[in-house]
Amino acid sequence: MSGTLALRGVRAAVPDGTGERVLLDGVDLDLRPGEITVITGRSGSGKSTLLSIAGLLRRPAIGEVLLHADPTATLSERHRTRLRGRQIGIVYQSANLIPNLTALEQLQLVAHVLGRRHGATERARGLLADLGVGGQEGSLPGKLSGGERQRVGIARALMAEPSVLLADEPTAALDPELAEQVSDLLARVTRERELATLIVTHDQAPLSQADVHLHLADGRLT
Amino acid sequence: MFVAVRDLRRSWRRFGLVGLVVVLVAALSTIVVGLSDGLVEQGTSGLRDLPFDHLAFEPHAQATFSRSTLDESQLRTWERHATASPLGVAFVNAAGKAGASIDIALFGVPADSFLVERADARAALAGPPGLVLSHAFEEQGVRVGDRFQMGGSGVELPVLGFTYAGSYGHVDLAFTSLATWRSINYGADPKGRFSAIALRVPGGTDVAAVDRLAGTDTLTKQAAYAGSPGYTAETQTMTMIRVFLLVISALIVGAFFTVLTLQRTRQVGVLKAMGASSGYVIRDGLVQIAVVVVAATAAGTLAGGALIAAMSGGAVPVRFSATSVTSAAVTLAVAGVIGGAVTLRRITRVEPSVALGVEA
Repeated sequence: MSGTLALRGVRAAVPDGTGERVLLDGVDLDLRPGEITVITGRSGSGKSTLLSIAGLLRRPAIGEVLLHADPTATLSERHRTRLRGRQIGIVYQSANLIPNLTALEQLQLVAHVLGRRHGATERARGLLADLGVGGQEGSLPGKLSGGERQRVGIARALMAEPSVLLADEPTAALDPELAEQVSDLLARVTRERELATLIVTHDQAPLSQADVHLHLADGRLT
Repeated sequence: MFVAVRDLRRSWRRFGLVGLVVVLVAALSTIVVGLSDGLVEQGTSGLRDLPFDHLAFEPHAQATFSRSTLDESQLRTWERHATASPLGVAFVNAAGKAGASIDIALFGVPADSFLVERADARAALAGPPGLVLSHAFEEQGVRVGDRFQMGGSGVELPVLGFTYAGSYGHVDLAFTSLATWRSINYGADPKGRFSAIALRVPGGTDVAAVDRLAGTDTLTKQAAYAGSPGYTAETQTMTMIRVFLLVISALIVGAFFTVLTLQRTRQVGVLKAMGASSGYVIRDGLVQIAVVVVAATAAGTLAGGALIAAMSGGAVPVRFSATSVTSAAVTLAVAGVIGGAVTLRRITRVEPSVALGVEA
């Protein structure tokens, strides 16, 4: 039985000179509710490509991504966009916050994009407070520390109340102490919200919270 | 427009730069419109203010009075189909005493012509020969009773009065009776000649058929403006400048938003990754472009309007027409928005995976 999100036989490659370099070669993966899966691998091994395929940000060359057991390969781009917005939250390496939006507005934007504006401000305030950045509601990204930016990024990823949380090197830009705090935070929200969480990283901090640890090398997960 | 409005508010300096350029272009465009209208005013107001709707010229005269000579038989033909009046038009240098001279566009009309609407003007033209000058000459110091030698004709005429008569071919108007006009232009043997026939043509009249009968070439009042000296060259030059300004505005706005869109590629990817459609992001960008362009165009138009007001009455022939200025401002704003909007096509090509730094 597949998890909340499952990859089946996924293959992806990038052009390399006259040929191509295979990044993912028949990858299978299951993400289950309340469980953190951590994938490690060296730079350029295809971790971010794997994450982008799992997040419906790009289509695999071959293979299938199942969300709640439903195939997504044949869905239109519009349908995939809507599904992504409602079911998948993404945390980025450097938070990728929108420069001219305050912490509160970063979350309100999600509600605006998804057309769920009713009660959005209260929900956003609650999330920011829960993640320890309630006092920074009116701060622009430039005024936040690295740790605060990442917490706001996690809150933004949770704003749509997704069932899947994907994190791309979420602790790479943080010092060890902050990295530990962010890892703990990801673990807490995963358990509390029954999220199927996938973290790709080459950092050690998230490993302490991993329920499943996989290594990506030569296009395969081991 | 969630992001657009906040971007504008918090990065106003960045948008202010392109806004300032559009302000300057809009101000220049407004001044060009004012200048264009002023030139048209100076070139044609003398004809525009006369109460006719068509002008009959000699064939091939191309609306130019100096190339057109008609006679009484042609007038009689037209009188059977429309209200018609002979009209003599010539540019004359009038020399006053003490060597002072003025250039005038001398219009000769019969005192009983439908072109002469005011009773005092009719009386002046019906009386002894003389000139009814545009008020512009009064402002230059000419007074009633001053006498002027009309070109090389030997005819000397007194100033009978002044009227708001406008100008033709950038020369202020003067009226005299048709008989006096003929004596100035044709001497003692005028043979009933004049330049053109001013007409009020009833609806349904077959103008071309009457033209064939009369041996004339009849134009609407608007079309007859083209015969004013310099009119076509001036209007074409001004139109060309305005087209250039429209293109410049569109290119400037387009270039600015192209760079902005390129700088925001990852941000667009993040928006798409969180579930925003291309349409959502494009609408956001369009709002930003529209706010910048419309606000800057409005500011520039106001500034240009103020400059026109300041220049009015001076040596530069400017005229403020709310219709022309508004129309030019709207066209400029539309061109700017289109120029910016074209660059937003790029947004549709941004893949959401760029948010992760992954090329699709």
